[in-house]
Amino acid sequence: MTRRETEFLVVGSGAGGATTAAVLAEAGRRVTVVEEGPWVDPDAEDAPEPFSLQEMAVKYRHHGSSAALGNPPVAYAEGRCVGGSTEINSGLWHRLPAEVAAAWRSDYAIDGFDQHQIDAWADRVESRLTVSRVPGAPPLSSALLERGAAKLGWRSVELPRVVAYDGGGRATKQTMARTLLPRAIVAGAHLEAACRVVRLLRRGDRVTGAVARRRRPDGTVEDLEIDAEHVVVCGGAIQTPALLQRSGIRHRIGRGLKLHPTIKIAARFPHPVDHEDVPIQRVTEFVPELAIGGSASRPGHVGLALADSGADIADVGAALADWERVFVYYASIRSDASGLVLAVPGLRSPLVTYRLTDGDLSRLARGLVLLGELLLAAGATELYPSVTGAEVVRRPEELASWWGSVDRSRTNLMTVHLTSTVGMGEDRDRTGADSYGRVWGVRNLTVNDASLLPDAPGVNPQATIMTIALRNAEHLLSRP
Amino acid sequence: MATTTTPHSARRAGWVASPAVLGFEREVVGALAAGADDRRRAAIDAWVDGSLSDMPEVLRAGVAAESVVLGAWWRIGRRRRDLSGFVAGLSRSRLGPLRQYARLFRSLVLFAELEP
Repeated sequence: MTRRETEFLVVGSGAGGATTAAVLAEAGRRVTVVEEGPWVDPDAEDAPEPFSLQEMAVKYRHHGSSAALGNPPVAYAEGRCVGGSTEINSGLWHRLPAEVAAAWRSDYAIDGFDQHQIDAWADRVESRLTVSRVPGAPPLSSALLERGAAKLGWRSVELPRVVAYDGGGRATKQTMARTLLPRAIVAGAHLEAACRVVRLLRRGDRVTGAVARRRRPDGTVEDLEIDAEHVVVCGGAIQTPALLQRSGIRHRIGRGLKLHPTIKIAARFPHPVDHEDVPIQRVTEFVPELAIGGSASRPGHVGLALADSGADIADVGAALADWERVFVYYASIRSDASGLVLAVPGLRSPLVTYRLTDGDLSRLARGLVLLGELLLAAGATELYPSVTGAEVVRRPEELASWWGSVDRSRTNLMTVHLTSTVGMGEDRDRTGADSYGRVWGVRNLTVNDASLLPDAPGVNPQATIMTIALRNAEHLLSRP
Repeated sequence: MATTTTPHSARRAGWVASPAVLGFEREVVGALAAGADDRRRAAIDAWVDGSLSDMPEVLRAGVAAESVVLGAWWRIGRRRRDLSGFVAGLSRSRLGPLRQYARLFRSLVLFAELEP
């Protein structure tokens, strides 16, 4: 057993962990960041292509194949590499809607969460990253959303992204591996990749460090014990509660999982559509209850979306042969259901469940029909919904058939937004941590990631996660 | 300071390792990837193997159990239809676990077939 010592141990290097590490290291504190996944240089010549098989094998947990059990199950994906999910997401930047922040503040009794404070932290996060809009005209996959929304009189916006554009318009996503982690390292932080924290070590009402296993480049595994004066867990909404539970910390931990259930349509157009990137346009007419946007649509994604429709194999084959004219769009809802993350002794991965309500299914059906309406207005000629056996729709009057199709036995759902398995606020009966992420009952243990969000925000959560992480990291520095 | 080194034969730190790809699962992949050339087929097999062995243990155990039951069921009735038809029937089932089983394998094969 190798022993190490640090002042602050940050577990996880994604949006929350990288923000925390940069704040602490730049304040002159001794910081060690431990990341379970590997370091994958995003600028290396042989870096995996976005959404390719290689990228999914290297950067995604479980090769991207995981699901919250329920009826229906909800497939989900998490990053597992240095930089976490910021390395694999679309980098879309959407600040927390003011009405959601106000509801969280009052419902969960969150101190220091006024709108002007949130805006100030968001400004500061954005100043540390490059948050920008596409220079010039948006790609066609985005313009189609805008066109459909305009025809229907719905609001839509081009979202900024955490992306830097060079003079030629070439985009470089500002992931944590390119931005805050290098800043933290320059400021003296130590990063340990391929190192999984097995459990936290406790003494009384304090944590004293962690036991971890590091995978060496030669494939052998080294056991580490890291002594720390303070531990900040930033493993995301699935791994953070699992680690806390494995460490014997269970009060309100792992309950209340929230996600954005997402239903998709593969839309065929009479013309080719760009497939290089994720659309930046969002239909905000129904936000935060319902968001409409576009997904990654490489050939594999188009194939999966078509297959999820359960359409006749000949139809699917014809659409697949024409994949350059097919693009995948989605509708995601704010769900009133919740789920559970439960660490099971002896198993590496926690059990994850999510029970959609009848109301959620109704909202998903509405989202599907509205999305279909929009895509037909945008010029789509064929719509394949991710509902097994649902009709392939070609005309607006056929959309009504989808209302009855979205049921528990046929609907294929996914999500990439998972939150709320710890929850922050002063209401101890409803939260696992205080208003600044300090875990109830453990004086020097903080959570600072998506787990803290008391509810699903209804928008891409990265901006909210980083804003709250900056706020909490600075509060941590101010504690005695 | 002492260092303990253990072989990295299994990536899993838990007590329970995911089962390897089962015979029936291999047959299902073969049936779904029937049109693939040898090189693509090898890539598909590698992707499916990696995905199944990297799955959360709870999910993998469920899939493996289904494979055992479905494998036996198919062998009993194999004279009636081919395996790809059997899987297509599962994908239309009203029983969620059967439908999700077919969806899983079809998704894994299709994704590997279409992606470089």
